[in-house]
Amino acid sequence: MKLTVNGSEYEADVPPQMPLLWVLRDTLGITGPKYGCGIAQCGACTVLMDGIAVRACQVAAADVQGEITTIEGLAQGDALHAVQEAWIAHQVAQCGYCQGGQIMQAVSFLSLVPDPDDEAIDAAMSGNLCRCGTYPRIRAAVKTAARALNSG
Amino acid sequence: MMRWAFFAALLCGFPVLPVQGETAPGPGIEAWTRIYEVVSHPRCANCHTGPSDRPMWSGPSYGETRPHGMNIRAGESRIGAETLPCRTCHVRAEAGGNTAAHMAPQVAEAWRLAPVEAHWFGQTSAYICTRLRDPDLNGGRTATEIADHLGHDVILHWAWAPGGGREPAPYDLETHIADIRIWGDAGQPCPE
Repeated sequence: MKLTVNGSEYEADVPPQMPLLWVLRDTLGITGPKYGCGIAQCGACTVLMDGIAVRACQVAAADVQGEITTIEGLAQGDALHAVQEAWIAHQVAQCGYCQGGQIMQAVSFLSLVPDPDDEAIDAAMSGNLCRCGTYPRIRAAVKTAARALNSG
Repeated sequence: MMRWAFFAALLCGFPVLPVQGETAPGPGIEAWTRIYEVVSHPRCANCHTGPSDRPMWSGPSYGETRPHGMNIRAGESRIGAETLPCRTCHVRAEAGGNTAAHMAPQVAEAWRLAPVEAHWFGQTSAYICTRLRDPDLNGGRTATEIADHLGHDVILHWAWAPGGGREPAPYDLETHIADIRIWGDAGQPCPE
């Protein structure tokens, strides 16, 4: 199959039912998306498919439609994405395992809802689990990122 | 003759309404009884939550009835566009997928909540029946068009093959469509 990841085209000889997460990590060596649960219960594997968050563990290779963006593809050269900048500013990560998925979910969310309130942020991010409990910092970082994106 | 009957009805104070068919026992009501078993079943009702934008988790495979985990809100869009799109986990899968327990079911269509007007969860047979036959509340459909809709909408077909240890909706899709037609032919009768 052919797929475009982070702006590069790849040819991958994989079974059609192989989860996209396996294709990314094991076949293409793109390891930013993490394996957490494999059943869409944690969000650690979140990537963007044509700009909308999906759980990479849930998308069969045959069902990939559009361009895939992983955490590795967010920055433009040395310029981090506003969500990444906000995550650093708020020192969101503790162990960090879930944070790539958290950031990708926030990027997708803010593209759909540019000026969210707390309730919307909580509802949007509740599918991404963080066992370190960084949720207050996640919410603050999403607000900071929203302001940055809207100002600029 | 019809004209005289109309005026006679007016003079007598009888309401002149479209005939809605039998309400006494008969094929129409029998068909509706089966239809209600289907639409009130968790595989259908869990996503027909009416004014609430929270899908439900109920049925034998879920234990205690509760809203969908993870604070999921389908929003006014009914597809979660305001927060977390349903398709983030219930991804569109051509061949369907995820038949294991605890996995997000997938179909070859966008996962979503039913429209607000199609409020089935926790509602009575009479309430659902009168809503389903009202064109203002059913998408402007006749019974025949409801039956056609059921035949084409693959997200509904999932209810009879949900996998993952979930209890399927009763009967089968063909029986359900046939019952809608029988109910329609009988004038869409509803229980009192």
